[in-house]
Amino acid sequence: MNAADNMSRSPRALKIFKKTSERAEAEVRKNLESLTGREDYSPDFDYFIELCRGDSSPESIEARTGRAVMRLLCIQAPIELIHAAGFHPYKIASGSQAMTNLALQGLPALMCPMLRAVLGAVMGSESGEPSGVKPWILPTTCDWVVKFPEMLASSGTDCASVHWMELPHLKDGDSCQALWLESVFGLKKFLESLGARVSRKPIEDSIRIYNNAWRALSRLAMMRQEGRMANVWFTLIAGSFFLDSPERWTAAALSINPTPAARSSPKSARVFLAGSPIFFPNFKLLHLLEDAGISVVSDDLCSGERIFPGAVTCKDTSEFGMISALAQRYHQGCLCPTFIDNDRRINNILSRREVTDFHGVVFHVLKGCHPYDLESLGLEMKLKERGLKFLRLETDYAAEDSQNLRTRIEAYHGTLKG
Amino acid sequence: MAMRIWKVRSIVQHAGFIVMMYGGRFGVHLGSALPCFACPFVPGCGGYCYLMGLQGYIGFGMGAAAASGFGIGAALGWFAVFIILVALLGKLWCGWICPFGLIQDWLSALRRKLGVRERMISYPIARCLAWVKYALLAGIVIMPPLVTVGVLHEDFYLPFCGICPGKSLLPLFIGETRYLALNYDNWVTLGFSVALLTITGVMLVGMFFKDRFFCIFCPLLALIHILKPITALRLVKSPEACVGCGNCRRACPMEIEAVYRQRKSSDVQSDECLDCASCVEACPSDFALSINFLKFRLFRSSRNYVAELRRKKDERGR
Repeated sequence: MNAADNMSRSPRALKIFKKTSERAEAEVRKNLESLTGREDYSPDFDYFIELCRGDSSPESIEARTGRAVMRLLCIQAPIELIHAAGFHPYKIASGSQAMTNLALQGLPALMCPMLRAVLGAVMGSESGEPSGVKPWILPTTCDWVVKFPEMLASSGTDCASVHWMELPHLKDGDSCQALWLESVFGLKKFLESLGARVSRKPIEDSIRIYNNAWRALSRLAMMRQEGRMANVWFTLIAGSFFLDSPERWTAAALSINPTPAARSSPKSARVFLAGSPIFFPNFKLLHLLEDAGISVVSDDLCSGERIFPGAVTCKDTSEFGMISALAQRYHQGCLCPTFIDNDRRINNILSRREVTDFHGVVFHVLKGCHPYDLESLGLEMKLKERGLKFLRLETDYAAEDSQNLRTRIEAYHGTLKG
Repeated sequence: MAMRIWKVRSIVQHAGFIVMMYGGRFGVHLGSALPCFACPFVPGCGGYCYLMGLQGYIGFGMGAAAASGFGIGAALGWFAVFIILVALLGKLWCGWICPFGLIQDWLSALRRKLGVRERMISYPIARCLAWVKYALLAGIVIMPPLVTVGVLHEDFYLPFCGICPGKSLLPLFIGETRYLALNYDNWVTLGFSVALLTITGVMLVGMFFKDRFFCIFCPLLALIHILKPITALRLVKSPEACVGCGNCRRACPMEIEAVYRQRKSSDVQSDECLDCASCVEACPSDFALSINFLKFRLFRSSRNYVAELRRKKDERGR
């Protein structure tokens, strides 16, 4: 599709959008059917399944949450602050192969499939009649995110308003931290320019709400670690977080009863999953690992355990104290490979090993996700030095490489058992 | 983990306050070598702060020793008791027992209740201020002998007590207000009382706007830290488990950076540390921080503990 088609909302473009949407819906339907047909399916998961099945356009999220949506692309913007301003922070992510095809043909061949799918989804959703301006909050994380509005504009889709947050890629220096704090206060100012009032009490409440959600997610992570929940369910539930109000999601997550993971056994090899995020409905890799008898017991994906930082601590509960605590938590505590001084990233894996006792690390690289790709080599050496088996898997949303991946995963499983 | 450390600490602090402030009234006196601000100027208190003993024994003890030989024995005896108490509990005295520490915590709680912003001291300035407590400790050690040998006026015999805000504030809890008055006996006493009132005022403001403001300057904390090599209780970090989230720094009443910054050594017990365990409680990385007694781990950081703490806070917040 070319830009002219999109801009004109021509009958041809609308037809393509319609077809692609149908394909995307079929993709979702097929994946959900395979999940609900599993032995470890429980009605406790229905709420999350319905969230993933339902319409994920900003308009429907607004209707569901009763709040205007503020669109995000990554986990770097403090969602507590956005929530405190009365908006619903909606991190848009997609694992839809169909949607990647909807994005412009002129885009780089080796482009992050997640952002390509998001581009497709946004172009598709805005081909109709957008119900209002939905601002984007974009911290300057990876190159794809930075260039996202430009790519969206090239495709003829108006990116509404974009608020940039300048993210220093060094974490430890005083000047970097001051700059990021300034960016976070800039976000507050932007939110207030939209008529919102961000004061102490709502910030305190939002921190409490998201800390509570983090607690619910931690409980699920513990269930997965103990083999009482399969990784596919954990990833589905974590991935549905932004699709509803955090309070409702938390209540549903806390009410889940443990269900022994269907395909794990005491003999299953236990691994830690690191690297690029994995979004529904693209659970290809998760299914392949499961099929090979490998249980993912912990992860550091920004679509999994790191979907929001949580555990924000601030003894200074003044407005300034809480905002600076949020700024620090989102900056210094972030393990995103876009940071330069990210040497503590490996510590998360090592400390999880103390409590989960896994045998190896599977590192997922989405084709085109260069920061993770670049990081994998150094990480591999450090982890191998500590006796952990490492497997780097580079893939995208297409199903064609499944057999190749399966062979490699099975061979890796053999080394874990040895 | 069912036990919540902050709650246990709060109970211990309040119990410590009652014993230290009113212990003498029900027959409890823990001696003259306590490593906390149990103020001798509070009639009926449950023990004496060792700083008073230190000044007294160094000064008059030396004089008495020259005359009778008795003072040295008592001085060494109380010093031995002080060392044993510090060796056993280390800075737990500061973070968990000191009544003046609790008063500071009350003021901080009031500030938080009012939603007033805490004033931070930048890291370089904090490092400079950290030396003040050692200077005060040096003054405590040097001045009393100068009184004994007649170089200084005799009213310099308890120099630190003369300016300690504990002397002016702690007696208020039994209704004693005399130390808030100026002492016109002579120029030295007048100077001390003016200094005491000024310092008290500055400290009250400082303690309201900054957690544990007085502890930055506390010579007792400096003295306990000097004995660090023999203390059994330590704050220990496992640098390989730290992801650098900074929760430890934000939870710390002293805003200690060393715990967050340390990437190699396990020793993170800095001179400002009060062993309050706030950092361990706030750390969501399993095994990253712990409070150890010798080689035994008493309490360690845990993601589950932090999550449980959130649940309790959430229940309270409803």
